[in-house]
Amino acid sequence: MESTRGQAQAQADWGPTDWHSAWRTLYWSCAVLLACNLFLWVWDYNFAFTVGLNSASHAFTLHYRTLFWGELLSVGIFAGLWFGWLVRTGLPLDREEIPPAEEVRRIAVLWSIIGATSLSLYIEASFWPNWDGAWHQTMVRDTALTPTHIPMFYFFFPLSVVLALGAYLYGRFRIPAVYAPEKGFPWSFFLLISAAVLEFVQVAFNEWGHSLWLSEEFFSVPFHWPFVAYGWLASGMFAVWGETIIRLFQIEKSARRTEEMPVEHTTAAAGGR
Amino acid sequence: MASTPATMAPAERQRRLELRELLNAKYQFIDRTWDAVFWITAIFIVAGAADITKLLFAGDWDFWTDWKDPQWWPVVTAFATIIIPSALQWIQWVAWRFPTGATYTCTCLFLATWIGRYFQWHIAETYPMNFVWPISTVPAAIILDWLLMRTRSFVVTSLFGGAIWAIMVWSFNYIPLAPFLQPVPFMHHIMTVSDVQGIAYIRSQTPEYLRHIERGALRSFLGETQYVSLLFGGTMAMIGYWVGQAIGRFLAVWPIGRYIKTL
Repeated sequence: MESTRGQAQAQADWGPTDWHSAWRTLYWSCAVLLACNLFLWVWDYNFAFTVGLNSASHAFTLHYRTLFWGELLSVGIFAGLWFGWLVRTGLPLDREEIPPAEEVRRIAVLWSIIGATSLSLYIEASFWPNWDGAWHQTMVRDTALTPTHIPMFYFFFPLSVVLALGAYLYGRFRIPAVYAPEKGFPWSFFLLISAAVLEFVQVAFNEWGHSLWLSEEFFSVPFHWPFVAYGWLASGMFAVWGETIIRLFQIEKSARRTEEMPVEHTTAAAGGR
Repeated sequence: MASTPATMAPAERQRRLELRELLNAKYQFIDRTWDAVFWITAIFIVAGAADITKLLFAGDWDFWTDWKDPQWWPVVTAFATIIIPSALQWIQWVAWRFPTGATYTCTCLFLATWIGRYFQWHIAETYPMNFVWPISTVPAAIILDWLLMRTRSFVVTSLFGGAIWAIMVWSFNYIPLAPFLQPVPFMHHIMTVSDVQGIAYIRSQTPEYLRHIERGALRSFLGETQYVSLLFGGTMAMIGYWVGQAIGRFLAVWPIGRYIKTL
């Protein structure tokens, strides 16, 4: 994430929506996501067929149970650190007046986090389910922690919850005109967060269903259908885009009004996060 | 026909002047980078939503050539693939009056499906691409968008578009499928090429009793099975279209600027 000093420097050099300014969050977060995805794909490519078929083996524990715990720990630690940083640095900003350029920059950072959430949702909803389908229609499962479930269910699913919650916390403290707590909880984030949480909850139902009704893989089986609901609820992302676009037009209008006023004014962008 | 300024009503003239002023205004903070970021980052969520909907409602029929049967494939595919394109039609029409929502969605879905099918099914699981190739809904989407542009009515688009969708999705994908339906002698039986593929590539977890193929009384229609299925597929697509409209209207657009009052 950006630092205060780096951000002040960025503002001195570039405008709030120049490609080198707030959008850096988008590039870096997407690059990290893609790097994680590449690592997990190569891991599965190397080990799924060699050690991933027998969950009772020591090699499976070494390669896959370790990966499972490593994923949960790394996502948990990332969430703790990021949320802590967002709240700790966000609380003092609550009382600050935000210059228009800074608010625009913050909206661009929010869009960047939403962009990363979008990429994470694609990876968990399309990229990995394809391998999951291919794997489970072919291989006999002897555990819920199969080689394709571990990257998909236990890394990208919780990561999407973390990213959606983080996006809300960012807006809650830094874009009060849209997400101040006194306005109430936004429906947009309610839908987006509940989409990600529902997906995670459905994992439990799915594993239970496979242990009870159907150990084979019929992909269109009704107890898989709740996974689809998350893809629909994630439409809340469009509402986040919509309400921040409306705010952008309001900022633009007020900036124009200020410019038209005959009194002298300053437009220096204040530091913020 | 476009009306000239002289024949235009004053209110319409005023509205057009305001739109022109909005278009030519000098913006301080709003520029094309917002458009670029929106259209590019939305690709992922749109592709993900469209693909998970297709995978879990009709995935089995899309994964393999031997599942692309005349009875279930036209019905479940038409329903599953029209939902998210319909939602995006509403979003793009309301936001920009762009009749491009279905084409945008189906192009995203096409890319996502091919990435998944190539890297996961072909590279990782070593199935040949000519056994696991995905269908394309892009041609049907172009026609659905054209229909909305011409009629400017979601009701008409759903009624005619739903039926056309089922026929188009089937007919455009029948072209690559047809070679796999050719007869071939295999172990003293006449089978199709796709049947032989299904036997040659073992799918331990998808036994025959799971397959919803050629089951039920529709067999008594003999050669007409396909057309009966397409007709029902069209009906299902009309229903799917309104499921998509509900997603676009109530989950994507309605929540804009609305809040659950104080928790």
